[in-house]
Amino acid sequence: MIRVVVKRLLIGVLVMWGAASLIFVIVRVAPGDPVSILLGPDAGQDQIDQLTASLGLDRPMFAQYLSYLGHAVRFDFGDSYLFGRPAMAEVLERLPATAELMLASTLIAVVVGLALGLLAGGRPGTAVDRVVSASTIALQSFPTFWVGIMLILIFALALRLLPSAGSGTPAHLVLPAVTLALPFTAIVARLTRTSVADTMREPYIQTARSKGLTERQVLLGHALRNSLIPVVTIVGLHMGGLMGGAVIVENVFAWPGLGSLVVDSVSNRDYQVVQAATFLIAGIVMLFNLVADLVYSQLDPRIRLEGTS
Amino acid sequence: MTRSLALPATRRTALAMLAAATMALTACSAATSGGTDSSNGEVVVAGTYPIDSIDPDGPQGGGTGPQMAEQQIFSRLVRTKPDGSLEGDLATSWKPDSTATQWTLTLRQGVKFSDGKTLTSADVVDSFKRFIDLKGTNAANFPGYTMTATSDNEVVLKASKPDAAVPRKLAVFFVLPAGVAPNDTAFFEHPVGTGPFKLEKFSPNEIALVPNPNYYGGAPKVKRVTIRKMPELASRLTALRTGEVDVAWGIPDDQLSQVESDSNLTVKTIQSSAVFTMWFNSSTPALRNAQVRRALWEAVDFPTIIKQLYPQTGSLSDSVVSPQTLGYVAQQPVKYDPAAAKAALTAAGFDFNTKLRLQFANAEFRQFNQAVVSDLEKIGVHVDLLEKEQAVFTKDLLALNWDINFQQLSNPMLDAANTIGRLYPCAAKRNGYCNPQLDKLLSEAGASSDEQERVKLYGEATQIIWQDAVGMFPMAVKYAYAWNKRLAGFSPDPNGLPDFSHLQVRS
Amino acid sequence: MSVLVDARSGQQVAARRAHATRRWLGRIPYVVLALYAVIGGVGPLLIDYDPVHVSLDDRLLRPGSHLSTGATAWFGTDGVGRDVLAQVVYGARTSVLIGVCTVAVSCLVGVAIGTVAGYFRGWPDMVLARGIDILLAFPAILLTIVIAGAFERSVLVVVVALSATAWISFARVTRSVALSIRERAWVDAARVLGVRPVSILLRHIVPFTAGPVVALATLEFALVVLAEAGLSFLGIGLPNSAVSWGQTIANGKQYLESAWWISALPGIALSLLIINIGILGDQLTARYGRGHLR
Repeated sequence: MIRVVVKRLLIGVLVMWGAASLIFVIVRVAPGDPVSILLGPDAGQDQIDQLTASLGLDRPMFAQYLSYLGHAVRFDFGDSYLFGRPAMAEVLERLPATAELMLASTLIAVVVGLALGLLAGGRPGTAVDRVVSASTIALQSFPTFWVGIMLILIFALALRLLPSAGSGTPAHLVLPAVTLALPFTAIVARLTRTSVADTMREPYIQTARSKGLTERQVLLGHALRNSLIPVVTIVGLHMGGLMGGAVIVENVFAWPGLGSLVVDSVSNRDYQVVQAATFLIAGIVMLFNLVADLVYSQLDPRIRLEGTS
Repeated sequence: MTRSLALPATRRTALAMLAAATMALTACSAATSGGTDSSNGEVVVAGTYPIDSIDPDGPQGGGTGPQMAEQQIFSRLVRTKPDGSLEGDLATSWKPDSTATQWTLTLRQGVKFSDGKTLTSADVVDSFKRFIDLKGTNAANFPGYTMTATSDNEVVLKASKPDAAVPRKLAVFFVLPAGVAPNDTAFFEHPVGTGPFKLEKFSPNEIALVPNPNYYGGAPKVKRVTIRKMPELASRLTALRTGEVDVAWGIPDDQLSQVESDSNLTVKTIQSSAVFTMWFNSSTPALRNAQVRRALWEAVDFPTIIKQLYPQTGSLSDSVVSPQTLGYVAQQPVKYDPAAAKAALTAAGFDFNTKLRLQFANAEFRQFNQAVVSDLEKIGVHVDLLEKEQAVFTKDLLALNWDINFQQLSNPMLDAANTIGRLYPCAAKRNGYCNPQLDKLLSEAGASSDEQERVKLYGEATQIIWQDAVGMFPMAVKYAYAWNKRLAGFSPDPNGLPDFSHLQVRS
Repeated sequence: MSVLVDARSGQQVAARRAHATRRWLGRIPYVVLALYAVIGGVGPLLIDYDPVHVSLDDRLLRPGSHLSTGATAWFGTDGVGRDVLAQVVYGARTSVLIGVCTVAVSCLVGVAIGTVAGYFRGWPDMVLARGIDILLAFPAILLTIVIAGAFERSVLVVVVALSATAWISFARVTRSVALSIRERAWVDAARVLGVRPVSILLRHIVPFTAGPVVALATLEFALVVLAEAGLSFLGIGLPNSAVSWGQTIANGKQYLESAWWISALPGIALSLLIINIGILGDQLTARYGRGHLR
């Protein structure tokens, strides 16, 4: 087990190195010179030379790359030119809001998804099953940003039940969290449905039934427990997708998290913040994937980590 | 038999889980956000423009957003009242010498900073030095000016050349305690000032201000003023109606009627100092000829655009500056005449294959600019409409990286020296236009201490700018303010920089 | 007993009926997609639309209103008086164009990389696996936003940015097909006969990837169209002169209260397209993709 974890962590380090390098390449290839962005147009040549040297931009590209990696290891991506303070500090300040949003969405998705999945998988082929399956396809197909806008239209503008944008109170969280949770709910529901439907066909379920357990006990005792394993795994593996969704949802609802920061920074060409944010996000996604793998192997003794890549 | 039970069982389970989800969500969000109930004395202001920094001398410090926050925390020597007249803030009097090159300002006695220290002339002098050294956007009003302390409560401002506009110009100079370093981020996290409020919390999305008990005018009577960043109009308006914010402004005409119909809100429009200013880059080969620039102006049907998009908050401008600004002189309106425009462009040899770049920032101006582009397209002039983020916009603006530039140019000093005098001399290099005759008029206007004379000279300068079409000046702007009726003591400000120190919450 | 038999035959009839309806329902995606193709292809010829041209007299008209030109705006008009129906039609063309280009590019790249990795195994396979790990550490939309935002706006940049992650699924699928095909007897025979690896790949491996790749291409197409709309909604990537659903939806956001149609109708067009591609993709996956997809 420990060997496996170590191996996984090593791959994780490799992935982070690759991610950091990829960001480096994109930012360097992109048009726009960081010095002129930092100094503005009124700077004199001596100022430009001085900053170029102090940022190390006059050194060979490979040396710059090495020093970039050296700083990245310490989570140092330089100062944001827009905010004038360390980019990573800016990013970390936005992290809690995104975490709050993602946590709420995950809760909704898991609970509602499990419920729908049980409902559909408990009696495969029935009308309920078909309705649930069809709506999961629909939920995954609607563009998140449009769903968000429609929810604003209905719940904020027409019914006046919830605030349309911003943050601060629990009410503010509802619409963005639901919007972000919808496609994820569909994934969890589909997964649970398949798993429950499979379980219901297992011989031991028949045994359980013949022992006189009610359908409810069978569902909750066996089917639900079995489907928890893939659901836990998908929560870990879907972290990337959820983070991606958060980027869009935060912009729809003016939610002050990482996602709106990334989009603002990209538009403003504040590359220090872009680098810091993407690096942090990649790290978080990687960690969740790792944990999901490990949890999966712990919960389900049939799975061995050695074989998977 | 057991099978028939399955459905209700699963359904019940599902319902229970749905209920659990709702509860979990509520519990979770309550735990993370800490709950801010709108108890008495709390005022929430919807901030339209980003406040990325509250360093008044920094590169962003002169923006509308930062300035609104800065004037709550730091005092100035003098400030303008909503009607355009001047009043003393930290200074009680200001007197020029005979040539208007030396101004003597007497400081208010017994003013204390929020940390309890007494304000002295040393603080003012040091702040002024910092203001000039950091070369923020407003520092350009004081080229080569120096300030010295003559006593503990008197300072002298020495201009590099005669300058009658000094008192109004000083309305953008904020006084900090002495010894704040250029990039002193620690200071601006916990700033010390002489303004009516103290900074409680600063984040790019929310600024919380609490009364400064040491404020010379008496601590404000509210418990807290929170400026919440709401760049999106829809969220500002919804928040206003739900009572989540108490004050919002910059409400466009399309939404004004809905706000007016809400019985909880007071709505008022006020003539601002802002004028839609659309400079032509006169250094672009295609736009070097004044005939071409004027023809382009003629080609846009501004009266119709204003009537359709800004029926309540816009009116056709007849000068470079707004009517209440010192130095305003009305000009002959430019008539909409696309046929004449097309003919003039052809006669001037304009190349209809060139694609002009029109840049602007802020989505609220998108439709206006789209309409302008559409009108120009009608006579065969191709324009690339570029909507930029504020930071990129500013950078490109200063680098003259545009052919037509749209700005809503406000003039918080209400003095033509700040706009005409600052932006149009050759040395300013702001729009590629250079005219020695205009330079001469502007320096004379700046030097004269006679107000009548200054108005006359600025009028002549305006005429040159207008005739040569350095830019198009299509619209004078009114600001629409709306605030909750539970607020008392709120007065709209023509510059979008309302003062919060007199606010009170009705119980 | 007889009750039971009755019930059973009743079930059979119902099942047969359900089967017939399902067969009909199964054809709906083809019809809808054909409709989109026709509208996207022919629509621009019939409906004239110039994003630059605004008509302020026709601002914010409800669906079905008459324009100052005498025409009818079936989907209403936006904040500067442009026809929303025309934006939906032209937006369909943009979306389909970008979707097809991106899927084509990522399909070519993915199939090439996937077959090579699956056939040769060893280090190419290792590099592919780790490369995919790295790319998957970023949420796809994030990588797309960063790439598209870093460069000048253009359709090409959007296609490249979307392809940067879209090729991965193609590579994975073809790799797994190649892994199983390479063990077949005829591939061994070709190898023994000294056929060059390139020919083996092209003649014996690639053709077998066609089924799953087609199924995957439909699913990827849906994802790409969604991602492009999201990108345009955020105002990143496409030049202002391009007409796109995401942009129209974003423009309508400020008029939600007074003119819901600007945001709502293009979104419905987009959702319908995605749902139908999704159903089609599921059908194709069931037919060709078994064991290789998902």
